[in-house]
Parts: sequence; structure tokens; C-alpha cells
Amino acid sequence: MTLESVSQMLGLVVVASPAVLLVALGVPLLAGLKLSEGVQAQLTKAAVVVGLLTSVAMLCLMLACGSRHVPIELGNWVFIEQEHFHFHLKFVFDRLSVPFVILSFVLCGTVGAFAAVYLHRERGYSRFFLLYALFLLGMVVSALAGTIETLFFGWELVGLSSALLVAYFHERPGPVRNGHRVWTTYRLADAAFLVAALTMHHLTGAGDFDGLMGSGPWPGGVAAIDPWSALAVGSLLLLAAAGKSGMVPFSGWLPRAMEGPTPSSAVFYGALSVHLGTYLLLRVSPLLDVSFSLRILVIILGLVSAILGTLASRVQSDVKNALAFASLTQVGIITIEIGLGLRYIALIHMIGHACLRTLQLLRAPSVLKDHQMLEDAVGQHLTGDDVNQPRTATGFRLALYRFALHRGYLDATLDDWIVRPFTLAFRWCDAMERRWTNLLSGGPSRESDRLSPYGDSLEDVA
Amino acid sequence: MPAAELADDAVANSSPPARSVRQVIERAAHLLPTQGPIEVFVHHNTLHAFEEQPFHEAVKSGLARFGAEPYFNEMEYRRLYLAGRITDIDLEAVIQDDLGERANEPIDGLGTRCEIRYAMLRHPLHIGPDAELRWVVAETDALQRFREQTTNINRSRIVSAARKWVADSDSVTGAAAELRGLVEKFGHDSGKWTDAAWESFSLHLLWRTCLNGVKSATSAGDTKAYVRPRDLLLHATGDDIDRNVHELLIRFCAAYVDQGYSDWLLPNRDRGFFESFVALYSARSVGLDRWLRRLPEELRSLRDSNATAEQAIEVSLDELGIAEPDREEFIAQSLLALGGWAGIIWQLESGVDWVVHSIPRGSLTGMLAVQLILEKQAIQDLGSEVLAERGSIAAIIGAARARLSDPVPLSREREAFLLFQVAQMLGWTPLEMQQLTAAQWQQLSEEVAEFSSMERRRIYHEAYERQYRHAALHAFARHAARRQTVDPPWGTRPDFQIATCIDDREESFRRHLEEVQPRCQTFGAAGFFAVAIYYRGAADGFYKPLCPGVITPDHYVQEDVGYTFEGVHRGRAELRRRLGLASHLFQTRSRTFLGGMAAGIVGSLATAPLVARVLFPHLTARIRRRFGSLLQPPPVTKLQLERYADGPGPSDGHIGYSTDEMADVVVRLLQDVGLTRTSDFARLFMVCGHGSSSLNNPHESAYCCGACAGKRGGPNARAFAEMANDWRVRTKVAERGIEIPADTRFVGAYHNTCDDSIVFYDLDRLPSSHREEFELARAAIEEARRRNAHERCRRFVSAPLDLSTSDALRHVEARAQDISQARPEYNHATNALCVVGRRDWSRGLFLDRRAFLTSYDPAQDDDQHSILDRILAAAIPVCAGINLEYYFSCVDYKRYGSGSKLPHNIVSLLGVMEGTSSDLRTGLYEQMVEIHEPLRILFLIETTPAAMLSILDRNEGIARLCRGGWSHLAVIDPETSQIQVLRDGRFEPFETPAGGKDELPQTASSLECYAGRRDHLPFFSIAETEVSP
Repeated sequence: MTLESVSQMLGLVVVASPAVLLVALGVPLLAGLKLSEGVQAQLTKAAVVVGLLTSVAMLCLMLACGSRHVPIELGNWVFIEQEHFHFHLKFVFDRLSVPFVILSFVLCGTVGAFAAVYLHRERGYSRFFLLYALFLLGMVVSALAGTIETLFFGWELVGLSSALLVAYFHERPGPVRNGHRVWTTYRLADAAFLVAALTMHHLTGAGDFDGLMGSGPWPGGVAAIDPWSALAVGSLLLLAAAGKSGMVPFSGWLPRAMEGPTPSSAVFYGALSVHLGTYLLLRVSPLLDVSFSLRILVIILGLVSAILGTLASRVQSDVKNALAFASLTQVGIITIEIGLGLRYIALIHMIGHACLRTLQLLRAPSVLKDHQMLEDAVGQHLTGDDVNQPRTATGFRLALYRFALHRGYLDATLDDWIVRPFTLAFRWCDAMERRWTNLLSGGPSRESDRLSPYGDSLEDVA
Repeated sequence: MPAAELADDAVANSSPPARSVRQVIERAAHLLPTQGPIEVFVHHNTLHAFEEQPFHEAVKSGLARFGAEPYFNEMEYRRLYLAGRITDIDLEAVIQDDLGERANEPIDGLGTRCEIRYAMLRHPLHIGPDAELRWVVAETDALQRFREQTTNINRSRIVSAARKWVADSDSVTGAAAELRGLVEKFGHDSGKWTDAAWESFSLHLLWRTCLNGVKSATSAGDTKAYVRPRDLLLHATGDDIDRNVHELLIRFCAAYVDQGYSDWLLPNRDRGFFESFVALYSARSVGLDRWLRRLPEELRSLRDSNATAEQAIEVSLDELGIAEPDREEFIAQSLLALGGWAGIIWQLESGVDWVVHSIPRGSLTGMLAVQLILEKQAIQDLGSEVLAERGSIAAIIGAARARLSDPVPLSREREAFLLFQVAQMLGWTPLEMQQLTAAQWQQLSEEVAEFSSMERRRIYHEAYERQYRHAALHAFARHAARRQTVDPPWGTRPDFQIATCIDDREESFRRHLEEVQPRCQTFGAAGFFAVAIYYRGAADGFYKPLCPGVITPDHYVQEDVGYTFEGVHRGRAELRRRLGLASHLFQTRSRTFLGGMAAGIVGSLATAPLVARVLFPHLTARIRRRFGSLLQPPPVTKLQLERYADGPGPSDGHIGYSTDEMADVVVRLLQDVGLTRTSDFARLFMVCGHGSSSLNNPHESAYCCGACAGKRGGPNARAFAEMANDWRVRTKVAERGIEIPADTRFVGAYHNTCDDSIVFYDLDRLPSSHREEFELARAAIEEARRRNAHERCRRFVSAPLDLSTSDALRHVEARAQDISQARPEYNHATNALCVVGRRDWSRGLFLDRRAFLTSYDPAQDDDQHSILDRILAAAIPVCAGINLEYYFSCVDYKRYGSGSKLPHNIVSLLGVMEGTSSDLRTGLYEQMVEIHEPLRILFLIETTPAAMLSILDRNEGIARLCRGGWSHLAVIDPETSQIQVLRDGRFEPFETPAGGKDELPQTASSLECYAGRRDHLPFFSIAETEVSP
């Protein structure tokens, strides 16, 4: 009995440490108190170290007593009898979640230490670390989620903090627009996720993953669900995963997310949050065993994303965009691996890729120096007019280059086929409303029409 | 298709307009940033384009042209004023100087011009945009309470005038009668008004008086500047066409100039910007962004008519409806919209020739052609989407203009409110002001308008600089006088001598060295030590220039490995090559499909270096050094310095210098530093180059030696020492009158200004007779570098103030090894002075690492002052360039500088962007300049006014900087401590206020000057350390 209570304790601490960090950093900000940089860095360090140590202890404990599935029940937080709905907070430690949560702590910890120095004297230091804590909490909750509601909760925290971090430099228009785009894409993924959760709820009557995967511990579970339902729920979850991981057709947001300070790009979009989609697929992978068509869908999505990523990363002339597409390639490959049922390989690949990419992104400003050192070591120019002789490009090459340079035209396609009809529809509604109000008021009815969008006058520079 | 027809027209009468477009572009190109590839960062005047104009004019042109701030904003100066950094004395003196005879002219009997201006400066004036002004007048207590700063006398003056006005008001008729409505507002019975009501009433009266007065004056109409179509559309619709245009253009520019980062080269890039763009986009492509849907068609028609870039620009200008007189302005504005990229393209096509991927001439024209074509597409798209106008571009612009509401700016209210505030400051009563005639009002409002915010900032800035400049000159005069009474501590012969770069970072190092070992003598010379070379180290792949950017070296020098180690060296070079290739493969393949898969699976191993480098930088650096030493060239190397074939060149036999050329180098440097008498040489002479190394820093080159083209100057020092040690060279040097004593040995060294390490070269060849001197000197240098690190640490907020000197050294070492460090060192930040002259009279003056120190002895110069001439020809442009780059990046780090370092993203291996897609950012970043004080540099030169004037006459570049006010210039005679300052082309004596509280404080050591403080420090005079005989 004591063994179980110890593991319950440990499990609680793992989840609680980022939550406590969030409160410790957030409440003083709300109260208008200014914590010094050192205090914030120390708090972050303490929370990450505690979280990391307890999750490692948990791993040891599980290895020692051979348990492969440790659920932590936190009970029903919302319970609506008539609708048969309960918000059930439950965390699960198993072979999938433990490595992923340890990875989150290691990478977040390293990046936290990096950012504590890198953002020294920065005006948004507190804001950065608050969002960081939010992100960490989101990562831990999603990694350990034992019910789909819990997963959605963590998933939302990750989405919110990611979008806000993309828009970290909010005094420039570019980051804000791109943050907005990331947010919109995430909402789309969330919608798919939510519909999937409802469908599942409808099918199984509970939001527990157990319903989808049978009761066996990961990855051995068997989903107790018929193939068509699996395909329906699975496709929705696939859409959600594609949005979150920047796979086709949502790849446009991934390079745009590189607007924030270097450490946040590194850990959040290069390493962790980009893998959240594939993590979700891994989590529900028993579904794939049920539906063969779903499996094919997953493989195709992964393949298309990987090919797009590898093409696009070849034409990027700047470090961060190139690494963003390189990440996409790997995420695509991991998705293929999941589709093929290579779950452990996918997990190892995911962890390895996250670590490597974090290192590469943190060292992104060294690219120039590395390039020089390489050329010195090799003793000749690796590229240049002498090395690359000009050759005439064929039409195919041009088309391929254009395709890559425009990142597969994905953004344009989404804008044309989804955003534009959407806004046109609402503009039409707006025009109708205006006609109606104008009719009622017997003249122009909107004051805002008469205001110019910028300032008082063109010359107003004082 | 109108584009095609117009294109045909343009082709038909092509030659005359085509030439003019190119000329216009070349003219506009001079406005673009001149920073080249970031690998070689040469500091230069950011406003080089306007250097012909005087400084204050030029910064205004900068504001008009680039929208960049000329000075700090008024709020910042006021903060400095409150903090005591700007004093009343400075403000008054500067206003007097600025106005000259006009200062004491009375204005409408209300006060002198000087008084009015002084009042406007001393108290914050509240002037915001129109909306804010409306709010201030209507919603705040601006009309209820006197301004805080209004003196009691002025308050009672104004209130009693108001009382009198009320008393007399019954008899008043005419214009003032309407003011009586005001009395009604406060209640009929003025006898019952409270004090607060009287105060409010007085202010209301004053405000109305000002408003009526200003209204009676006629204001001059302002001229309309040319507005780019994009700006017009932005104001009319809120949509920015540049957003779309730039996103594509940035991506394409980056691919076009890429120096080998991306795996695929842009097809047809060798044919030119325009040509490769046309080739890439003229094919039909499904899925292209909506706003580009007509692009392929237009490009095809251009291609079919064989239009050149210039012709395409002509067509676009016509279609955009740019009138002939506006073209130049339009083209300049268009190029500056993406100035960083346009600038690098211009640099690559016209100036920089050492990049691996060159681009053909005419690329900038091509870029403009593409930009205009894209702008047309975007305007058409915006027209049809937002303005519902599908016609020509002219029609769209017309529609936008019609949409633009033409708000009436509150210029009168603004002027009146300004006067209202000044009136309170100076106690002008409503009665007095009502007496003014229309002409007097006109004069008054012109007077206030003339002293606009820009002018106030200029005066503030002058006062800000004056405070420091006067303190500096005063300190120099005092200190030089004091030094007259001090004998050199070394008696007949110094223990050792050391020459460092003139760099401001070496100021503290030299000062500490002189404190640790008073029996040493230090010199400053440009850090390439007259050795201008292309250099290749034993582990380098290529020759790189090590000399100031303006010089093209003739000589090549190579580092060779000794005969004994040749085998080892070859083995290691091969190993390096293989590891290099493997690592290259890994880096590029980890971004591809299959390679990435493998890399990803073993990627977990990356955790080790990742965690180690971030959490334990010091340890990681040690391990890396340990293993790195197995890869580096063997420890014993020598320079291939002597040439045995005719003519210098990079191939065997031609590498190096002849002995005659070596003698030239040695004579040149010794003359420059004024060390030509045999009796002056110590037994040991060190030559110390410098550089800086830091991790994860694309701007690393900016931290290195400016006199070595942003590289490390160690090899120059090493080469110089070897030349000067050669007895054949010494014979030739002796023939030219400098006899170096036979027992003098030269040793080369290298100072890393980031981690404060110092290495010495070729110690194996130091004779054992000099061993003891060297060990003593080395011990002194060790202590000096520790103290230097300690002094530097006071500026780093993350270093505690109570560090010991050894901990300080560890702290700066950790900074250099930390990949997360955005401020490895503060570089030239805070630089403000340049001293040219003998060290004797400035030795021991605490200059707070703010001064470039150049050695020069006027006694040894000829009648033409040719030595000073050649020193200044290099020192003034270089130091002023550094200083001005810091100035501009500091006053506006967003436009002149490169913004914050945090989102920087290396692009094309040429520069940095902010985030994922932005203009190429030039200049210095925020973290580099955060402690800087933007002061124009003050040159203090030990010479006579006549000599200086003759050098100015001979040297146009220097004259432009000194006479145009880009830097301040003063000369000093250390014997009499007499300083003369250049003003309006003449030298005028600088009056040192006599004695009293201005006495220069004296301390025993540098530590005493700076201990426990992080801010900018005043000057101190440090006494010579006592030496035991």
C-alpha cells in the first residue's frame, strides 16, 4: 500500500511543480510586485529540478516494481448529471508519458537556464518566464493526461502560451500578425480535437482513453471500438495533430512561429510543441490497429509533410526557417513511423529529434562562425561561384524551386479556400446589417466609417 | 494588356530615359546603409550619406529621410537634467552661444529671447498629438491648477492680474468682451470666489487670451511632401501593401545574395536579379498567392518584349502615375522601404569583392524593377478587394485619395497651449498679453514656434555634451599641470615598454599596468602596427586582410609549422579536414529526409552537449580546449615573414617582406609613437595586438580590432616583433636615424578583450639574458589583466560589485564561453574621447575606459607635421566612425541600429534579420549600446593651433568631420596646460575656472575611483604608485 501512496505522491509533485511555478510567478505580477530577475530564475530552476527529479524517481519506482501503468486520480471537477458529463482530471504514468515528461523537463530546464542569461535586462523578462511556466504546465499536463478532457486542458495551455510567445515582440507588427496566425491555426486544431472528444464521449460514454485503447497499458492496449467509429474519431484527431504539429496543410505557421526570442523558438516550436501532435497520435495509436484506412491516412499525411519539409528546407536562406522546415520533415517521418506501427521507434525518434533541434536552434547565431571553421578545416570553399558552376535551369527545376520557395503554396491555398470565403461571408453579413441600420436611422449609421485608420493626420509626427 | 503596350513604347525610345533611371538609382543608393557582410564588421558613420552637411543639419536630414531620431527625446534629456547630468550652467551657456547677439533681444516686452528659451527648456512642455492635446485641455486639470513648476510670484502675478481684469471688465468693450462670458461661467459674484476658483479662472482667462491671440496671427501654410502610393493607401484603408510585397521580396533577395547557406541555389542567379525573377515567375503556376495572380502574365509580356530592368521601371513609373519631378523622391523612398536588403545588394555589386557568390552589376536596378512590379500587383489587388475599384492603378489611387478624410490639424490650439504653458512659467499676465497687437502676437508665436521640439532637443544635447566636454578638458588641463611636477618613476630606463592598440578598451589595461608596475612605459598605436598584411594561420583555409579597411595590403604572411612538427601537423590537418567534412555532412543532412532520420534517432546524444554548454559553460570550454588541442596546429609555429623572390604575392617565395620593407614598417611605428632616441628604449618591448572571441555572436567581428578590419590583431604584433628583432632590419633602421640598442628585444602578444587573456608569441626565441625581465613583466601583466577584468565587471549587472580580482577574471572568462550571453563585453560603448599625444601628461588620469589613446611626440615631428598628419588621417576617421556609429545606434536603436539582439536570425550568411522575415538589419544592436552615452567624440591633440589648422586644410576628410561638427576638436600644450578649442573654424582658448570646488579629485588607485559603482564616473587623478628603489 505504501508503495502506491509513494507513487501517488510523486505523481502529484510532478504535476504540481509547474503549477506552483505558474502561481509563484503570476500572482506577484497580478499584485503589481516586481520580482527580480534572479528570484524568477531561481524559482524556475527549483520547479524544473523538482519536477525532473520526481519524474525520474517515478520512472525508477515503476522500473523497480515492474508496474507499467500508474494512474493518478484527481476526481471529477465538473459533474453535470443530466448531460452525463464530468470533467475528469486524471493523469497516467506509463511507457509513453514518462519519457515525454522527462524530455519536457530537461529541455524546458535547459532553455530556462539559457533564457535567464539571454533575456537579462530585457523589458519582457517577467512576461517571458510567466509564459514559459504556462507552457511547461501545459506540456506536463498534456504529456501525462489520462483523459481526453485533461489532454485538451494541457493542449490549450500550450497553444495559448505558444501564440503569446510568438507575439512576444508585440511592438512590431510582424510578430503580432504571425502570433495571430498561429493562434488561428491552433483554434482550428482545437475545434477538431473538441469534436473528436465529443464523438468519443458519445461513443463510449466517458472521456477516458481506456475506452479507445482498451485497458491494457501503452502500447499494448486494444481499442474497443468499431472500425468506422475509429476512422471518424481518428480522422478528427489526425486533423488536430496536423494543426498542432504544423503538418500539411497547416505547415505555414511553423516558420512564422520563429518570431520570438531565440530560446523560445528553440524549445517551443523546434522541439516540444511541434511534437505534441505526434504525441497525441502515439497516445491513441491503438485506434490505428482497428482501422486500416486510418493507418493509410496517417502514413500519407506524414509522407506529404516530410516531402514538403525536405523540399522547403532546401531553399531557405536563413537559419531559423531552414530549421523549422527541417523539423517538419522529421515530424512527418515520425508520423509515418506511427502509421507503420513502429511506436517505440517513433518515441525514440521524437526524443532524439527534439534534443538535436533544440541544440541546433540555440546555436543558430553561430552558423556563420561554424561555416568559417568548416571551410578552414576543409581548406577550401564549400560553396561559391567556383564550386557551383552556373547551369541553365529546366522548367521543372524552376517549378520545383518556386514550389519550395513558396512553401508548397499552402498558406496561399488556405487563404484562398478557407479564409477568403469565410471573411467574404461575414463581410456580406456586415453589409446587410449596415443597409438595415442605415435604413432604420435614415442615413449613414456608423460613426466608425468616418474615422481614418491611422492617427489624426498624415503629417502628424509630433 | 496595358503593360505590354507601354513596354513596347518604352523599348521604342529606350536609351535616354533608361540612362536617367539608372542614374537616379545610383544617386539614391548613396542613402542606403553601407554595411557589408557581417563577417567583416567595420564601424563607420551611419549618416555617411549626409556627411557633407554640418552635423545638426545632417541629423535633421536623417529624420526626414529615414524617420530616425536625431537625438534622445525630450523626456530623456529632462530625466538627465533632473539627475544633474545636464546643469543649468550648461543650458544657459549653450543658449547664449547658440543665439549669440540675438540672445538679449526683448520679445514684445515680455522678456528676452534667451529667457523665453531657457524657461521652455527648464520645464517640461506638454505637447502631444492632436487627440492628446484635446484630452489635456478638456479632461485634465491643465485649466484648473497652475503647473507644478510655476513659482509663487508668478502665480500671484497672474491671479492678481485676473482680479484686476474682472474689476475693470465692465468698462471693457470689443474683442475682450466675449471673454466676459467666462465670468458668467464662474458665477456672477466674483467676491465669493474661492482661491481655487480664482486660480482656475485666471488660467481659463490666460488660455482664452492665448488662443485668441494666436488666432489673430496668421500662420504660414506648410508645404506638402511627396507621399508614396503605399503610404497613401495605408492611411486610406489601413492595409499595408508592403507587407505582401516585402514578404516575397525578402525571400527572393535572401535567395539571390545567399552565400551558401541554402542547399539549392536560386536558378539563373548569375544572370541578374530581374532576369532570374522573370525566369522564375513567368511560368503559370497554380496556387500562387491571390494578389500575384496576374504576375506571370505581366512578366511574360515583359520577357517577350525583351524589356530590361530599366525599361520595366519606366513602365511601372508610368503606370503608377509618378510624375517626372517626383521620380527621384519616389525611387529613393521605394529603395529605402527595404533599405537593408537594397544596401547589401548595392554593396555586393559595387564594393565588396571577396564574397564567394558574386552578383552582377545592375542588381539593384533589377530589385527596384521587381519591387515596383510587385507593388503594382499589390495595389491592384488592394483596389479590387477593399476599394472595389478594378480599373487602372491611377484610378485606385484616386479612389484612395477620395477616401482620405482631410482632418484639420489643431496647429493653432497647439501653439496656443505652448504659449499658455510658457506664460505660466514666466508670469505673463492676461492683461499684458491682451495689450499685444496682431504683429506682436505674430512675433511671439513665431518665437515659440522657432524654438520647436527639435531645436529644444538640439540645445539639450549640446548642453549634455558640454557638461562632459568641459569636465574632460578641465581634467586634462589640471592633470597635465600636475604631471609637470612628477618625474618618470623609472629613472633612466623603463623596466619594459608595451605598445597596445589605441582602442578605448586598452585604456584601462594600460592604466592598470602602469599602476601595477610604475616602471613600465606604455604606448598606443593603431592596432595593425604598420604591418598591413593578408594573413593565413596554420589552421586557416584562406588569406584574410589584417589592416584597416581603407588599405589594400600588398604583402602576404603565412604561419608555418616547424620542421619537427610537420608530420604531426599534416596528420592533424587531415583529421581536421575529415572531421570538418563529416560535420558539414551532418549539419546539412540533418535537415534532409533520410539524413535527418538517422540524425534524429541518435539525436538524444545531443542532450549531453546541450545541457553541458548551457549549464556548465566553463567546464565545457575546458574540455573542448583539452580535446581541441589534439586538433589544433602544434604549439610551435613560425611566421613565413621574409620574402626571397621579387614582388610580394600569395605563392611560395613571394610570401613576406623584404628587409627594406621591414625596416619601413619598423621606422614607421617607432616614429609614430615617438620612440626614436636610443636612450629611450627599455630592454624589453612588447607589442600587443587585440581581438575578442565570444560564442553564438554573429556580430563577433564588431568586437575585434577595428584597425585589423574586424579581425584579431595578434599576427600583426607578432610580425612586428620579429621584424624589429632582425639585426639586418635594425641596421637599415639605424641608417634612417633610429638606433635600437642591441640589448632591446621585442616580444609580440595578443590581448583578448572579452576574457582578458593574454598570450605571447615566439617566447622560445627570447634569449635567456632577457628571461628575468620577461618574467617580471609577465607577472605585472597578469595582475593588470585581473584588475582590468575587475574594472570591466562593474558595468555588468550580473556580476556582483564585491567580486575579487580573480573572481572577476573568472566572470569575464565565463562570459566569453557562454552561448547564452548576449553581452560578452560592452565593446566600445561609452567611448567619448580621443587623446593624441605623449602619455606623460595623461598617465594616471582615470578616463573610465572612454578614451582612445594615441601616442605622438610633437617634438620629434618635422615642420610639415607629417607624422601627425598620417596619424590623424587614420585615427580621426576611424575613431569618429566608431563614435558616430555608437551615437546613432544609441539615439535610435530601432532605425539606425539593428534593434534587439534577441530575435536576430542569420540570413544568407551575410547579415541578420529580426525574426522570420524582416529587412536586413544594420548597425549596432540594443544590448551593445545600452550603457552608451551618445556624445560626439572629443579629439584632444598635443600640437599647436597653427599646425592643426594646416592639417585640416590639407586633409578634406578630417576637416569635414571636425569643421562640420561631427566631432569636437581641441589642442593642448601640456607645458602650460593651455587648451584651445576649435569653434567656427578658429581655435579659441578654453577657460578653466580657477580652483575651488572644481578641483580634480586625487586618488591612490583606479580601484578607489570605481569601487562599488556601476554608472558613468567623473575624472580622477591617480597618483603614481610608489616604487621601492
